[in-house]
Amino acid sequence: MIWQQLQSLAGSYPLAVRGLGMTVMLSLISLVLGTALGFGLGILRTGGNRLISSVIGAWVDLIRGTPFLVQIFLIFFILPEFGIELDAFTAGIIALTNLAACFICEIVAAGIRSVPTGQVEAALASGLSRWQRMRQVVLPQAMRIVLPPLVGQYVLLIKDSSVVSAIGLTDLTRVGWLVVQRVPNGLLVFFLVGVGYFIVCYPLIMLARRLERRMGAAHGEVQL
Amino acid sequence: MSTPSPTKTGMIDFRGVSKWFGTLNVLKDITLSVEPREVVVVCGPSGSGKSTLIRCINGLEAIKDGDLIVDGQRLGDPATNMTQLRTEIGFVFQSFNLYPHKTALENVTLAPIHVRKIARAEAEQAGRELLAKVGLADKVDAYPSQLSGGQQQRVAIARCLGMRPKIMLFDEPTSALDPEMISEVLDVMVAVAEEGMTMMVVTHEMGFARKVAQRVVFMDAGAIVESGTPEEFFSAPKTDRSRAFLSKILRH
Repeated sequence: MIWQQLQSLAGSYPLAVRGLGMTVMLSLISLVLGTALGFGLGILRTGGNRLISSVIGAWVDLIRGTPFLVQIFLIFFILPEFGIELDAFTAGIIALTNLAACFICEIVAAGIRSVPTGQVEAALASGLSRWQRMRQVVLPQAMRIVLPPLVGQYVLLIKDSSVVSAIGLTDLTRVGWLVVQRVPNGLLVFFLVGVGYFIVCYPLIMLARRLERRMGAAHGEVQL
Repeated sequence: MSTPSPTKTGMIDFRGVSKWFGTLNVLKDITLSVEPREVVVVCGPSGSGKSTLIRCINGLEAIKDGDLIVDGQRLGDPATNMTQLRTEIGFVFQSFNLYPHKTALENVTLAPIHVRKIARAEAEQAGRELLAKVGLADKVDAYPSQLSGGQQQRVAIARCLGMRPKIMLFDEPTSALDPEMISEVLDVMVAVAEEGMTMMVVTHEMGFARKVAQRVVFMDAGAIVESGTPEEFFSAPKTDRSRAFLSKILRH
């Protein structure tokens, strides 16, 4: 019985690879886009323009305060009502990117705020422009605070990508649902799905831990 | 003090400048003109507004009333490019504010390379010379965390000099230092003054004032109470408040 199931599972191998590929693609694309957008938002959030800052703040709160599944449904089912036709992949990317950007925005803003004002004043006093102050003085110091939780956020993003199976994308989780219809052993199938996610996430978890240790040491070393 | 005529402009010209922090009147009708190559020491009790006074000059603080003209440009005027003006004004902070992620040399060359657009090799050459001048030739590649307070402050001075400013402002440059490190910083400041830099220095280092200042300005409660040559001020202070202040700082 179990032998038959395993054989059947082995037959699903190509599907599983496709699902894993989809999960990695979705995560990777929205991770890159979300990071870029998140940094931009984080910089604007701390940029001194109150209106922009509070609009971003409100958006971030809204996204953080609603379930991701609901956000995906909203993007996938509501936008077509306004004439914007989205395929499931694009909708998934938009939803994941938005989610990642909101969390990364707060991480980056916290990092920027952790840089002592004296640093900004010194850069200001030597005539560096707004962008130069950010690029040369503030961001490099903020990165110490930003990096460990940023990588941690990537892990969450990969796991959150499983929710896109709800709009029909054949990612790793949906492959699990498909396979379990042929191989009626939910425990085994979803155990393997879990292993798939873990294989992708574990290197990042290790990286986050290493960064945390390294940044901790550097922080003690670099005293202001 | 007489108000200078509008046509005559010093390097730094305060004309009836006032400033509030909320309801606190931190600068009260300040009128003060600093000539090119002049060294002015500003002293007074803590909270008297002396740091605020010099922080206004490079726009780290905004003024509320009056005119402040620096190097011929009026602050707050839409025609004044503040970023440009700041490149002409070096500012030395009490807490050094060196960039902790950059080496001593990188601290010195950052603004010359990115603001003055000087070629890297040339800026590094000049940076090494400046660090040698402040006695830190062997520390060019050290990070601020590897330097003592006195060394950090000397790097901070070199960082300002790297921009070849017309004016140098010092905000209690030795207050955060251990006593044995004060003189190494003051020596560098004396050397800068002797090269003819226009300087405003907030400090209680009276030895420094006697040595290089043309004028001592005494502030209390946001106003300039007294101003005169170091000799006049230290040997014959004119007001009760300055006498009380001097008796406190000279006792130590």
